[in-house]
Amino acid sequence: MTVSHATGGGVPLLRTENLAREYALAGAPVRAVRGVSLTIEQGEYAAIVGPSGCGKSSLLNLLGAIDRPTSGTVLLRGRDVSHMRDREATEFRLRHIGFVFQRFYLMPMLTALENVELPMAEAGAAKRARRARARELLSYVGLEARGGHRPAQLSGGEQQRVAIARALANEPALLLADEPTGELDARTGRDVIALFDQLNRDGVTIVVVTHDEVLARAARRVVHMVDGVIVSDERNGPGDVGGPPRTTISPALVDAASPFRRTPG
Amino acid sequence: MDSCIPCHPIVVLTLACALGGLPRAIEAQGDARAQVGAGRVEDVSPAPAGALRTIAVDERLVADRGVRLGDTLTISATPGGAGERVVVGAIVRRAADPSEVARAEYRVRLHLDHLQSVTGAGDRVDRFAVAVTPGSTDAALAAINARSFGFRAHRSSDVAAQASRTFAVVSRFNRAIGVISIVASAIFLLCIMLLKVEERRRDVAALRLLGISRRTVTGAVVIEASCIALLGSAAGVAFGYVASAIINAYYRGLYRTPLAFSMVTPGTVGFAVLLSLALGIGAGFLAARRLTGVPPLSLFGR
Ligand SMILES: Nc1ncnc2c1ncn2[C@@H]1O[C@H](COP(=O)(O)OP(=O)(O)OP(=O)(O)O)[C@@H](O)[C@H]1O
Ligand SMILES: [Mg+2]
Repeated sequence: MTVSHATGGGVPLLRTENLAREYALAGAPVRAVRGVSLTIEQGEYAAIVGPSGCGKSSLLNLLGAIDRPTSGTVLLRGRDVSHMRDREATEFRLRHIGFVFQRFYLMPMLTALENVELPMAEAGAAKRARRARARELLSYVGLEARGGHRPAQLSGGEQQRVAIARALANEPALLLADEPTGELDARTGRDVIALFDQLNRDGVTIVVVTHDEVLARAARRVVHMVDGVIVSDERNGPGDVGGPPRTTISPALVDAASPFRRTPG
Repeated sequence: MDSCIPCHPIVVLTLACALGGLPRAIEAQGDARAQVGAGRVEDVSPAPAGALRTIAVDERLVADRGVRLGDTLTISATPGGAGERVVVGAIVRRAADPSEVARAEYRVRLHLDHLQSVTGAGDRVDRFAVAVTPGSTDAALAAINARSFGFRAHRSSDVAAQASRTFAVVSRFNRAIGVISIVASAIFLLCIMLLKVEERRRDVAALRLLGISRRTVTGAVVIEASCIALLGSAAGVAFGYVASAIINAYYRGLYRTPLAFSMVTPGTVGFAVLLSLALGIGAGFLAARRLTGVPPLSLFGR
Protein backbone atom coordinates (compact mmCIF):
# COMPACT_ATOMS: atom_id res chain seq x y z
CA MET A 1 0.00 0.00 0.00
CA THR A 2 1.21 3.51 -0.72
CA VAL A 3 1.06 5.74 2.28
CA SER A 4 2.71 8.76 0.68
CA HIS A 5 4.13 10.16 -2.52
CA ALA A 6 7.68 9.13 -1.60
CA THR A 7 10.27 8.94 -4.36
CA GLY A 8 13.43 8.14 -2.41
CA GLY A 9 15.93 9.72 -0.02
CA GLY A 10 18.45 12.47 -0.69
CA VAL A 11 16.03 14.58 -2.68
CA PRO A 12 15.06 17.87 -1.01
CA LEU A 13 11.35 17.92 -0.44
CA LEU A 14 10.90 21.02 1.64
CA ARG A 15 13.09 24.07 1.90
CA THR A 16 12.62 27.21 3.93
CA GLU A 17 14.62 30.34 3.40
CA ASN A 18 15.05 32.90 6.12
CA LEU A 19 11.57 32.20 7.37
CA ALA A 20 10.11 34.60 9.91
CA ARG A 21 6.74 34.95 11.58
CA GLU A 22 5.81 37.86 13.74
CA TYR A 23 2.49 38.15 15.52
CA ALA A 24 1.38 41.75 15.67
CA LEU A 25 0.08 42.19 19.17
CA ALA A 26 -0.82 45.40 20.91
CA GLY A 27 2.31 46.52 22.68
CA ALA A 28 5.23 44.45 21.50
CA PRO A 29 4.94 42.14 18.51
CA VAL A 30 5.88 38.52 19.17
CA ARG A 31 8.64 37.20 16.95
CA ALA A 32 7.79 33.52 17.04
CA VAL A 33 10.01 32.39 14.15
CA ARG A 34 13.14 34.31 13.31
CA GLY A 35 15.03 33.62 10.12
CA VAL A 36 14.79 29.85 9.89
CA SER A 37 16.36 28.16 6.89
CA LEU A 38 15.77 24.44 6.88
CA THR A 39 15.78 21.63 4.35
CA ILE A 40 13.79 18.43 4.76
CA GLU A 41 14.65 15.64 2.38
CA GLN A 42 12.34 13.10 0.90
CA GLY A 43 11.85 10.20 3.30
CA GLU A 44 13.21 12.06 6.29
CA TYR A 45 11.84 11.83 9.82
CA ALA A 46 12.59 15.01 11.73
CA ALA A 47 11.53 16.08 15.20
CA ILE A 48 11.40 19.75 16.12
CA VAL A 49 11.99 20.16 19.83
CA GLY A 50 12.51 23.05 22.20
CA PRO A 51 11.06 24.83 25.19
CA SER A 52 7.44 25.88 25.27
CA GLY A 53 6.80 29.05 23.32
CA CYS A 54 9.98 28.79 21.26
CA GLY A 55 8.01 28.80 18.00
CA LYS A 56 7.82 25.10 17.08
CA SER A 57 4.11 25.12 16.23
CA SER A 58 4.45 28.47 14.46
CA LEU A 59 7.17 26.96 12.28
CA LEU A 60 5.15 23.81 11.62
CA ASN A 61 2.16 25.94 10.56
CA LEU A 62 4.37 27.74 8.07
CA LEU A 63 5.75 24.45 6.71
CA GLY A 64 2.21 23.15 6.23
CA ALA A 65 0.80 26.20 4.39
CA ILE A 66 -1.51 26.83 7.30
CA ASP A 67 -0.04 30.22 8.07
CA ARG A 68 1.81 32.82 6.02
CA PRO A 69 5.26 34.00 6.99
CA THR A 70 6.03 37.63 7.70
CA SER A 71 9.08 37.14 5.49
CA GLY A 72 10.97 34.33 3.82
CA THR A 73 9.67 31.45 1.76
CA VAL A 74 8.63 27.84 2.07
CA LEU A 75 9.20 25.70 -1.00
CA LEU A 76 7.64 22.26 -1.18
CA ARG A 77 8.93 20.32 -4.17
CA GLY A 78 10.06 23.67 -5.53
CA ARG A 79 6.63 25.23 -5.21
CA ASP A 80 6.28 28.33 -3.05
CA VAL A 81 3.54 27.55 -0.56
CA SER A 82 4.12 30.55 1.65
CA HIS A 83 2.19 33.10 -0.32
CA MET A 84 -0.76 31.11 -1.54
CA ARG A 85 -4.27 32.47 -1.29
CA ASP A 86 -6.60 30.71 1.11
CA ARG A 87 -8.34 28.59 -1.51
CA GLU A 88 -5.10 27.51 -3.15
CA ALA A 89 -3.46 26.75 0.20
CA THR A 90 -6.49 24.70 1.29
CA GLU A 91 -6.37 22.65 -1.89
CA PHE A 92 -2.62 22.26 -1.52
CA ARG A 93 -2.91 20.99 2.04
CA LEU A 94 -5.63 18.58 1.00
CA ARG A 95 -3.52 16.96 -1.69
CA HIS A 96 0.05 17.26 -0.46
CA ILE A 97 0.16 17.52 3.31
CA GLY A 98 -1.13 15.28 6.07
CA PHE A 99 -1.77 16.71 9.53
CA VAL A 100 -1.89 15.01 12.87
CA PHE A 101 -3.00 17.10 15.84
CA GLN A 102 -2.44 16.68 19.53
CA ARG A 103 -6.20 16.41 20.14
CA PHE A 104 -7.01 14.16 17.17
CA TYR A 105 -9.98 16.26 16.00
CA LEU A 106 -11.93 13.42 14.50
CA MET A 107 -15.47 14.31 13.51
CA PRO A 108 -17.61 12.94 16.34
CA MET A 109 -20.65 12.09 14.22
CA LEU A 110 -18.65 10.10 11.66
CA THR A 111 -17.32 6.58 12.07
CA ALA A 112 -13.60 5.89 11.99
CA LEU A 113 -13.93 4.75 8.40
CA GLU A 114 -15.85 7.87 7.38
CA ASN A 115 -13.32 10.07 9.12
CA VAL A 116 -10.56 8.51 7.06
CA GLU A 117 -12.65 8.87 3.91
CA LEU A 118 -13.33 12.54 4.48
CA PRO A 119 -10.21 14.05 2.81
CA MET A 120 -10.59 11.62 -0.10
CA ALA A 121 -14.22 12.63 -0.55
CA GLU A 122 -13.15 16.26 -0.56
CA ALA A 123 -10.53 15.45 -3.16
CA GLY A 124 -13.23 13.90 -5.33
CA ALA A 125 -12.32 10.21 -5.00
CA ALA A 126 -15.03 7.73 -6.01
CA LYS A 127 -17.00 6.25 -3.15
CA ARG A 128 -15.87 2.69 -3.69
CA ALA A 129 -12.20 3.59 -4.13
CA ARG A 130 -12.07 5.75 -1.06
CA ARG A 131 -13.85 3.19 1.06
CA ALA A 132 -11.35 0.55 -0.02
CA ARG A 133 -8.41 2.83 0.73
CA ALA A 134 -9.88 3.87 4.09
CA ARG A 135 -10.16 0.19 5.03
CA GLU A 136 -6.57 -0.41 3.95
CA LEU A 137 -5.35 2.55 6.00
CA LEU A 138 -7.29 1.50 9.08
CA SER A 139 -5.82 -1.94 8.73
CA TYR A 140 -2.35 -0.36 8.39
CA VAL A 141 -2.79 1.41 11.71
CA GLY A 142 -4.15 -1.78 13.29
CA LEU A 143 -7.80 -0.75 13.52
CA GLU A 144 -9.44 -2.74 10.75
CA ALA A 145 -12.05 -4.03 13.18
CA ARG A 146 -12.98 -0.58 14.44
CA GLY A 147 -14.01 1.09 11.18
CA GLY A 148 -17.67 1.25 12.17
CA HIS A 149 -17.01 2.83 15.55
CA ARG A 150 -17.37 6.50 16.33
CA PRO A 151 -14.56 8.45 17.99
CA ALA A 152 -16.35 8.40 21.35
CA GLN A 153 -16.15 4.60 21.25
CA LEU A 154 -12.38 4.61 20.72
CA SER A 155 -9.54 5.17 23.19
CA GLY A 156 -7.23 8.16 22.82
CA GLY A 157 -4.51 6.03 21.21
CA GLU A 158 -6.99 4.52 18.79
CA GLN A 159 -8.37 7.93 17.90
CA GLN A 160 -4.86 9.16 17.19
CA ARG A 161 -4.23 6.17 14.94
CA VAL A 162 -7.46 6.93 13.05
CA ALA A 163 -6.26 10.54 12.76
CA ILE A 164 -2.96 9.28 11.33
CA ALA A 165 -4.83 7.11 8.83
CA ARG A 166 -6.90 10.17 7.88
CA ALA A 167 -3.72 12.22 7.43
CA LEU A 168 -2.43 9.60 4.98
CA ALA A 169 -5.66 9.40 2.99
CA ASN A 170 -4.57 11.42 -0.03
CA GLU A 171 -1.00 10.03 -0.08
CA PRO A 172 0.60 13.26 1.14
CA ALA A 173 4.15 14.26 0.29
CA LEU A 174 4.70 15.30 3.88
CA LEU A 175 3.19 14.31 7.20
CA LEU A 176 3.21 17.03 9.84
CA ALA A 177 2.34 16.29 13.46
CA ASP A 178 2.08 18.71 16.37
CA GLU A 179 2.51 16.94 19.72
CA PRO A 180 0.93 13.71 18.46
CA THR A 181 1.57 11.95 21.77
CA GLY A 182 0.71 14.97 23.92
CA GLU A 183 -2.69 13.64 24.96
CA LEU A 184 -1.64 10.02 25.38
CA ASP A 185 -0.19 8.06 28.26
CA ALA A 186 3.33 6.67 27.86
CA ARG A 187 2.24 3.22 26.70
CA THR A 188 -0.25 4.41 24.09
CA GLY A 189 2.23 7.08 23.09
CA ARG A 190 4.73 4.32 22.30
CA ASP A 191 2.23 2.67 19.93
CA VAL A 192 1.89 5.93 18.05
CA ILE A 193 5.67 6.37 18.01
CA ALA A 194 6.05 2.85 16.62
CA LEU A 195 3.47 3.69 13.97
CA PHE A 196 5.39 6.82 12.91
CA ASP A 197 8.53 4.73 12.74
CA GLN A 198 6.80 2.19 10.52
CA LEU A 199 5.39 4.96 8.33
CA ASN A 200 8.82 6.46 7.84
CA ARG A 201 10.26 3.07 6.92
CA ASP A 202 7.48 2.83 4.36
CA GLY A 203 8.65 6.06 2.81
CA VAL A 204 6.59 8.77 4.48
CA THR A 205 8.42 12.04 5.13
CA ILE A 206 7.55 13.14 8.64
CA VAL A 207 8.11 16.34 10.57
CA VAL A 208 6.92 16.18 14.13
CA VAL A 209 6.87 18.85 16.83
CA THR A 210 7.17 17.33 20.27
CA HIS A 211 8.08 17.60 23.91
CA ASP A 212 8.15 13.82 24.13
CA GLU A 213 11.75 12.65 24.48
CA VAL A 214 10.93 9.12 23.38
CA LEU A 215 9.36 10.41 20.20
CA ALA A 216 12.25 12.80 19.60
CA ARG A 217 14.74 9.93 20.01
CA ALA A 218 12.75 7.81 17.58
CA ALA A 219 13.07 10.46 14.87
CA ARG A 220 16.13 10.21 12.60
CA ARG A 221 16.82 13.91 12.93
CA VAL A 222 16.29 16.34 15.78
CA VAL A 223 15.98 20.06 15.19
CA HIS A 224 16.26 22.07 18.38
CA MET A 225 14.64 25.50 18.53
CA VAL A 226 15.00 28.24 21.08
CA ASP A 227 13.32 31.63 20.83
CA GLY A 228 12.29 31.26 17.24
CA VAL A 229 15.62 30.09 15.87
CA ILE A 230 17.16 26.68 15.26
CA VAL A 231 20.05 26.16 17.59
CA SER A 232 20.96 22.59 16.75
CA ASP A 233 20.15 20.12 14.03
CA GLU A 234 21.37 16.59 14.64
CA ARG A 235 20.94 13.10 13.34
CA ASN A 236 19.94 10.33 15.68
CA GLY A 237 21.23 6.79 15.69
CA PRO A 238 23.57 4.91 13.38
CA GLY A 239 22.26 6.56 10.24
CA ASP A 240 23.87 9.84 11.27
CA VAL A 241 27.21 10.12 9.50
CA GLY A 242 27.78 13.78 10.12
CA GLY A 243 28.06 16.02 7.07
CA PRO A 244 27.37 19.70 6.73
CA PRO A 245 24.68 21.22 8.90
CA ARG A 246 21.42 21.53 7.07
CA THR A 247 20.39 24.63 8.88
CA THR A 248 21.85 28.00 8.23
CA ILE A 249 21.82 29.92 11.44
CA SER A 250 22.89 33.44 11.93
CA PRO A 251 25.62 33.20 14.65
CA ALA A 252 24.37 36.38 16.27
CA LEU A 253 20.96 34.88 16.78
CA VAL A 254 22.37 31.68 18.17
CA ASP A 255 24.52 33.57 20.59
CA ALA A 256 21.56 35.56 21.72
CA ALA A 257 19.12 32.70 22.05
CA SER A 258 20.74 29.38 22.57
CA PRO A 259 22.03 27.68 25.63
CA PHE A 260 23.69 25.27 23.20
CA ARG A 261 26.54 27.03 21.38
CA ARG A 262 26.93 25.54 17.97
CA THR A 263 30.47 25.02 16.78
CA PRO A 264 30.63 25.80 13.08
CA GLY A 265 31.63 23.06 10.66
CA MET B 1 -95.31 15.28 19.74
CA ASP B 2 -97.28 18.47 19.49
CA SER B 3 -95.61 21.77 20.24
CA CYS B 4 -95.79 25.40 19.25
CA ILE B 5 -92.81 27.10 17.62
CA PRO B 6 -92.78 30.80 16.87
CA CYS B 7 -91.47 31.18 13.37
CA HIS B 8 -89.68 34.33 12.23
CA PRO B 9 -90.80 35.35 8.80
CA ILE B 10 -87.33 36.51 7.86
CA VAL B 11 -85.95 33.03 7.99
CA VAL B 12 -84.79 31.60 4.74
CA LEU B 13 -87.60 30.73 2.57
CA THR B 14 -87.58 28.33 -0.19
CA LEU B 15 -89.12 29.34 -3.39
CA ALA B 16 -90.97 27.10 -5.67
CA CYS B 17 -90.19 29.38 -8.47
CA ALA B 18 -91.11 29.28 -12.08
CA LEU B 19 -89.86 32.29 -13.87
CA GLY B 20 -90.84 32.34 -17.50
CA GLY B 21 -87.86 32.12 -19.85
CA LEU B 22 -85.42 31.45 -17.05
CA PRO B 23 -83.41 28.37 -16.49
CA ARG B 24 -85.08 25.63 -14.57
CA ALA B 25 -85.65 26.37 -10.91
CA ILE B 26 -84.81 23.20 -9.20
CA GLU B 27 -86.22 24.06 -5.85
CA ALA B 28 -89.79 23.48 -6.78
CA GLN B 29 -91.20 21.00 -4.37
CA GLY B 30 -94.12 18.68 -4.82
CA ASP B 31 -93.52 17.33 -1.41
CA ALA B 32 -90.75 17.57 1.10
CA ARG B 33 -88.62 15.10 -0.80
CA ALA B 34 -86.56 17.81 -2.43
CA GLN B 35 -83.54 19.94 -1.97
CA VAL B 36 -84.34 22.64 0.54
CA GLY B 37 -82.41 25.91 0.43
CA ALA B 38 -78.70 25.54 0.98
CA GLY B 39 -79.21 22.80 3.51
CA ARG B 40 -79.72 19.15 2.84
CA VAL B 41 -82.77 17.16 3.62
CA GLU B 42 -81.81 14.40 6.01
CA ASP B 43 -84.87 12.29 5.86
CA VAL B 44 -88.34 12.67 4.56
CA SER B 45 -91.60 11.03 5.34
CA PRO B 46 -94.73 11.78 3.38
CA ALA B 47 -97.41 13.88 5.03
CA PRO B 48 -100.82 12.33 5.46
CA ALA B 49 -102.66 12.89 2.21
CA GLY B 50 -104.96 15.91 2.10
CA ALA B 51 -104.31 16.74 5.69
CA LEU B 52 -101.71 19.04 7.31
CA ARG B 53 -98.96 20.69 5.30
CA THR B 54 -95.38 19.70 5.78
CA ILE B 55 -92.47 21.84 6.87
CA ALA B 56 -88.73 21.26 7.12
CA VAL B 57 -87.05 21.94 10.47
CA ASP B 58 -83.54 22.80 11.46
CA GLU B 59 -81.42 19.99 12.84
CA ARG B 60 -80.80 22.15 15.92
CA LEU B 61 -84.47 21.95 16.69
CA VAL B 62 -84.24 18.21 16.38
CA ALA B 63 -81.31 18.11 18.75
CA ASP B 64 -82.68 20.59 21.28
CA ARG B 65 -86.37 19.81 21.34
CA GLY B 66 -86.46 16.21 20.32
CA VAL B 67 -88.56 16.97 17.23
CA ARG B 68 -88.81 14.00 14.89
CA LEU B 69 -90.04 13.36 11.40
CA GLY B 70 -93.80 13.00 11.30
CA ASP B 71 -94.29 15.04 14.48
CA THR B 72 -97.11 17.54 14.41
CA LEU B 73 -96.16 21.09 15.37
CA THR B 74 -98.04 24.35 15.58
CA ILE B 75 -96.39 27.31 13.89
CA SER B 76 -97.27 30.98 14.13
CA ALA B 77 -95.74 34.20 12.81
CA THR B 78 -95.63 35.81 16.25
CA PRO B 79 -95.08 34.29 19.68
CA GLY B 80 -98.43 33.36 21.14
CA GLY B 81 -100.24 34.16 17.88
CA ALA B 82 -102.87 32.01 16.27
CA GLY B 83 -101.11 28.93 15.00
CA GLU B 84 -101.40 26.40 12.25
CA ARG B 85 -100.72 22.72 12.72
CA VAL B 86 -98.08 21.28 10.42
CA VAL B 87 -96.21 18.03 10.07
CA VAL B 88 -92.40 17.77 10.14
CA GLY B 89 -91.60 16.44 6.71
CA ALA B 90 -87.86 17.05 6.58
CA ILE B 91 -84.86 17.86 8.71
CA VAL B 92 -82.36 20.33 7.29
CA ARG B 93 -78.67 20.29 8.05
CA ARG B 94 -77.07 23.74 8.42
CA ALA B 95 -74.76 24.86 5.67
CA ALA B 96 -71.23 26.09 6.39
CA ASP B 97 -71.94 29.79 6.22
CA PRO B 98 -69.66 32.09 8.22
CA SER B 99 -72.27 34.83 8.38
CA GLU B 100 -74.53 32.54 10.37
CA VAL B 101 -72.03 31.38 12.91
CA ALA B 102 -73.23 33.50 15.78
CA ARG B 103 -76.95 33.13 15.04
CA ALA B 104 -78.62 30.97 17.58
CA GLU B 105 -82.23 31.02 16.37
CA TYR B 106 -83.98 27.99 14.95
CA ARG B 107 -85.16 27.75 11.40
CA VAL B 108 -88.24 26.36 9.85
CA ARG B 109 -88.65 26.03 6.12
CA LEU B 110 -92.01 26.40 4.44
CA HIS B 111 -93.15 26.45 0.88
CA LEU B 112 -93.52 30.03 -0.28
CA ASP B 113 -97.30 30.12 -0.46
CA HIS B 114 -97.50 28.48 2.94
CA LEU B 115 -95.09 31.00 4.43
CA GLN B 116 -97.05 33.86 2.90
CA SER B 117 -100.26 32.59 4.40
CA VAL B 118 -98.70 31.98 7.83
CA THR B 119 -97.07 35.41 8.03
CA GLY B 120 -99.90 37.23 6.35
CA ALA B 121 -97.32 39.06 4.24
CA GLY B 122 -98.48 37.89 0.90
CA ASP B 123 -96.51 40.37 -1.17
CA ARG B 124 -93.28 40.48 0.85
CA VAL B 125 -90.16 38.47 0.14
CA ASP B 126 -86.76 39.38 1.56
CA ARG B 127 -84.57 36.96 -0.26
CA PHE B 128 -84.84 33.84 -2.29
CA ALA B 129 -82.45 31.53 -4.08
CA VAL B 130 -82.66 30.38 -7.65
CA ALA B 131 -80.65 27.42 -8.81
CA VAL B 132 -79.54 27.51 -12.40
CA THR B 133 -77.95 24.99 -14.70
CA PRO B 134 -74.17 25.34 -14.74
CA GLY B 135 -72.90 27.98 -17.16
CA SER B 136 -76.13 29.94 -17.36
CA THR B 137 -75.62 32.09 -14.27
CA ASP B 138 -74.73 35.24 -16.20
CA ALA B 139 -77.76 34.92 -18.46
CA ALA B 140 -80.00 34.26 -15.46
CA LEU B 141 -78.61 37.27 -13.58
CA ALA B 142 -79.10 39.49 -16.61
CA ALA B 143 -82.61 38.22 -17.20
CA ILE B 144 -83.74 38.63 -13.60
CA ASN B 145 -82.24 42.09 -13.25
CA ALA B 146 -83.71 43.16 -16.59
CA ARG B 147 -87.23 42.37 -15.39
CA SER B 148 -87.00 44.91 -12.58
CA PHE B 149 -88.90 42.90 -10.05
CA GLY B 150 -87.88 45.41 -7.43
CA PHE B 151 -84.94 43.39 -6.25
CA ARG B 152 -81.55 42.59 -7.59
CA ALA B 153 -80.06 39.20 -8.27
CA HIS B 154 -76.53 38.42 -7.16
CA ARG B 155 -74.32 35.49 -7.60
CA SER B 156 -74.27 33.38 -4.46
CA SER B 157 -70.45 33.46 -4.56
CA ASP B 158 -70.56 37.28 -4.52
CA VAL B 159 -73.01 37.25 -1.65
CA ALA B 160 -70.78 34.79 0.20
CA ALA B 161 -67.69 36.90 -0.49
CA GLN B 162 -69.50 39.98 0.78
CA ALA B 163 -70.66 38.17 3.89
CA SER B 164 -67.19 36.75 4.54
CA ARG B 165 -65.28 39.98 4.12
CA THR B 166 -64.60 40.21 7.84
CA PHE B 167 -63.42 36.66 7.80
CA ALA B 168 -61.07 37.36 4.93
CA VAL B 169 -59.50 40.17 6.96
CA VAL B 170 -59.21 37.91 10.00
CA SER B 171 -57.69 35.24 7.81
CA ARG B 172 -55.11 37.70 6.42
CA PHE B 173 -54.32 38.78 9.92
CA ASN B 174 -53.76 35.15 10.90
CA ARG B 175 -51.46 34.69 7.95
CA ALA B 176 -49.42 37.69 9.08
CA ILE B 177 -49.15 36.16 12.55
CA GLY B 178 -48.06 32.90 10.90
CA VAL B 179 -45.34 34.62 8.89
CA ILE B 180 -44.12 36.46 11.98
CA SER B 181 -43.98 33.15 13.88
CA ILE B 182 -41.96 31.55 11.10
CA VAL B 183 -39.52 34.47 10.97
CA ALA B 184 -39.20 34.39 14.76
CA SER B 185 -38.48 30.67 14.70
CA ALA B 186 -35.91 31.23 11.94
CA ILE B 187 -34.14 33.68 14.25
CA PHE B 188 -34.30 31.01 16.93
CA LEU B 189 -32.85 28.54 14.42
CA LEU B 190 -30.06 30.99 13.64
CA CYS B 191 -29.24 31.17 17.37
CA ILE B 192 -29.20 27.37 17.58
CA MET B 193 -26.95 27.15 14.54
CA LEU B 194 -24.59 29.78 15.95
CA LEU B 195 -24.34 27.82 19.19
CA LYS B 196 -23.79 24.62 17.26
CA VAL B 197 -21.03 26.05 15.10
CA GLU B 198 -19.49 27.64 18.18
CA GLU B 199 -19.36 24.17 19.75
CA ARG B 200 -17.64 22.83 16.65
CA ARG B 201 -15.18 25.61 16.03
CA ARG B 202 -12.15 23.46 16.74
CA ASP B 203 -13.41 20.51 14.74
CA VAL B 204 -14.06 22.80 11.80
CA ALA B 205 -10.66 24.44 12.24
CA ALA B 206 -9.07 21.00 12.05
CA LEU B 207 -11.08 20.18 8.94
CA ARG B 208 -9.98 23.40 7.30
CA LEU B 209 -6.34 22.61 8.16
CA LEU B 210 -6.80 19.18 6.61
CA GLY B 211 -7.80 20.91 3.39
CA ILE B 212 -11.58 20.83 3.60
CA SER B 213 -12.77 23.87 1.68
CA ARG B 214 -14.97 26.70 2.90
CA ARG B 215 -17.56 25.58 0.41
CA THR B 216 -17.78 22.11 1.91
CA VAL B 217 -17.99 23.48 5.45
CA THR B 218 -20.64 26.01 4.43
CA GLY B 219 -22.53 23.31 2.54
CA ALA B 220 -22.54 21.02 5.59
CA VAL B 221 -23.79 23.78 7.91
CA VAL B 222 -26.45 24.89 5.41
CA ILE B 223 -27.64 21.32 4.88
CA GLU B 224 -27.89 20.85 8.63
CA ALA B 225 -29.83 24.09 9.08
CA SER B 226 -32.13 23.18 6.18
CA CYS B 227 -32.78 19.76 7.68
CA ILE B 228 -33.64 21.36 11.02
CA ALA B 229 -35.92 23.83 9.23
CA LEU B 230 -37.62 21.03 7.29
CA LEU B 231 -38.04 18.86 10.37
CA GLY B 232 -39.39 21.89 12.21
CA SER B 233 -41.80 22.56 9.35
CA ALA B 234 -42.95 18.93 9.33
CA ALA B 235 -43.51 19.06 13.09
CA GLY B 236 -45.25 22.43 12.68
CA VAL B 237 -47.54 21.11 9.95
CA ALA B 238 -48.40 18.03 12.01
CA PHE B 239 -49.07 20.24 15.02
CA GLY B 240 -51.12 22.55 12.80
CA TYR B 241 -53.31 19.67 11.64
CA VAL B 242 -53.89 18.46 15.17
CA ALA B 243 -54.52 21.96 16.55
CA SER B 244 -56.79 22.71 13.63
CA ALA B 245 -58.80 19.55 14.25
CA ILE B 246 -59.17 20.43 17.93
CA ILE B 247 -60.17 24.05 17.18
CA ASN B 248 -62.72 22.93 14.60
CA ALA B 249 -64.17 20.26 16.85
CA TYR B 250 -64.51 22.78 19.68
CA TYR B 251 -66.06 25.64 17.73
CA ARG B 252 -68.24 23.43 15.58
CA GLY B 253 -69.69 22.07 18.78
CA LEU B 254 -69.99 25.54 20.29
CA TYR B 255 -71.67 27.17 17.32
CA ARG B 256 -73.29 24.04 15.94
CA THR B 257 -72.08 24.61 12.43
CA PRO B 258 -70.13 22.47 9.96
CA LEU B 259 -68.01 25.54 9.26
CA ALA B 260 -64.20 25.07 9.26
CA PHE B 261 -62.72 27.61 11.67
CA SER B 262 -59.16 26.59 11.03
CA MET B 263 -57.79 25.11 7.84
CA VAL B 264 -54.35 23.74 6.98
CA THR B 265 -54.42 23.87 3.21
CA PRO B 266 -51.73 22.58 0.83
CA GLY B 267 -51.12 26.22 -0.09
CA THR B 268 -50.51 27.19 3.53
CA VAL B 269 -48.25 24.19 4.08
CA GLY B 270 -46.28 24.90 0.91
CA PHE B 271 -45.87 28.56 1.76
CA ALA B 272 -44.80 27.83 5.35
CA VAL B 273 -42.34 25.10 4.36
CA LEU B 274 -40.79 27.18 1.57
CA LEU B 275 -40.49 30.24 3.79
CA SER B 276 -38.91 28.33 6.67
CA LEU B 277 -36.61 26.46 4.29
CA ALA B 278 -35.44 29.74 2.75
CA LEU B 279 -34.91 31.26 6.18
CA GLY B 280 -33.18 28.05 7.35
CA ILE B 281 -30.76 28.24 4.44
CA GLY B 282 -30.12 31.90 5.29
CA ALA B 283 -29.50 31.02 8.94
CA GLY B 284 -27.13 28.23 7.86
CA PHE B 285 -25.16 30.65 5.66
CA LEU B 286 -24.86 33.23 8.40
CA ALA B 287 -23.78 30.60 10.92
CA ALA B 288 -21.28 29.08 8.48
CA ARG B 289 -19.75 32.49 7.84
CA ARG B 290 -18.73 32.60 11.49
CA LEU B 291 -16.53 29.58 10.77
CA THR B 292 -15.35 30.24 7.26
CA GLY B 293 -14.92 33.99 7.41
CA VAL B 294 -11.81 33.73 9.60
CA PRO B 295 -8.46 31.98 9.14
CA PRO B 296 -8.70 28.41 10.47
CA LEU B 297 -5.90 28.91 12.97
CA SER B 298 -7.84 31.64 14.73
CA LEU B 299 -10.69 29.17 15.22
CA PHE B 300 -8.41 27.23 17.54
CA GLY B 301 -8.85 30.19 19.84
CA ARG B 302 -5.29 31.21 20.33
N1 LIG C 1 -1.82 33.47 16.89
C1 LIG C 1 -0.93 34.00 17.72
N2 LIG C 1 -1.04 35.27 18.13
C2 LIG C 1 -0.16 35.81 18.95
N3 LIG C 1 0.90 35.17 19.44
C3 LIG C 1 1.08 33.90 19.10
C4 LIG C 1 0.17 33.24 18.21
N4 LIG C 1 0.60 31.98 18.02
C5 LIG C 1 1.72 31.86 18.76
N5 LIG C 1 2.01 33.00 19.38
C6 LIG C 1 3.15 33.26 20.23
O1 LIG C 1 4.28 32.86 19.52
C7 LIG C 1 5.21 32.23 20.35
C8 LIG C 1 5.50 30.84 19.82
O2 LIG C 1 4.32 30.08 19.94
P1 LIG C 1 4.25 28.56 19.48
O3 LIG C 1 2.89 28.10 19.69
O4 LIG C 1 4.81 28.46 18.13
O5 LIG C 1 5.23 27.86 20.52
P2 LIG C 1 5.52 26.34 20.75
O6 LIG C 1 6.96 26.18 20.67
O7 LIG C 1 4.72 25.52 19.85
O8 LIG C 1 5.03 26.15 22.25
P3 LIG C 1 4.44 24.86 22.94
O9 LIG C 1 5.56 23.89 23.04
O10 LIG C 1 4.00 25.34 24.27
O11 LIG C 1 3.33 24.39 22.09
C9 LIG C 1 4.59 32.22 21.73
O12 LIG C 1 5.12 33.30 22.46
C10 LIG C 1 3.15 32.41 21.48
O13 LIG C 1 2.53 33.08 22.54
MG1 LIG D 1 3.06 24.17 20.10
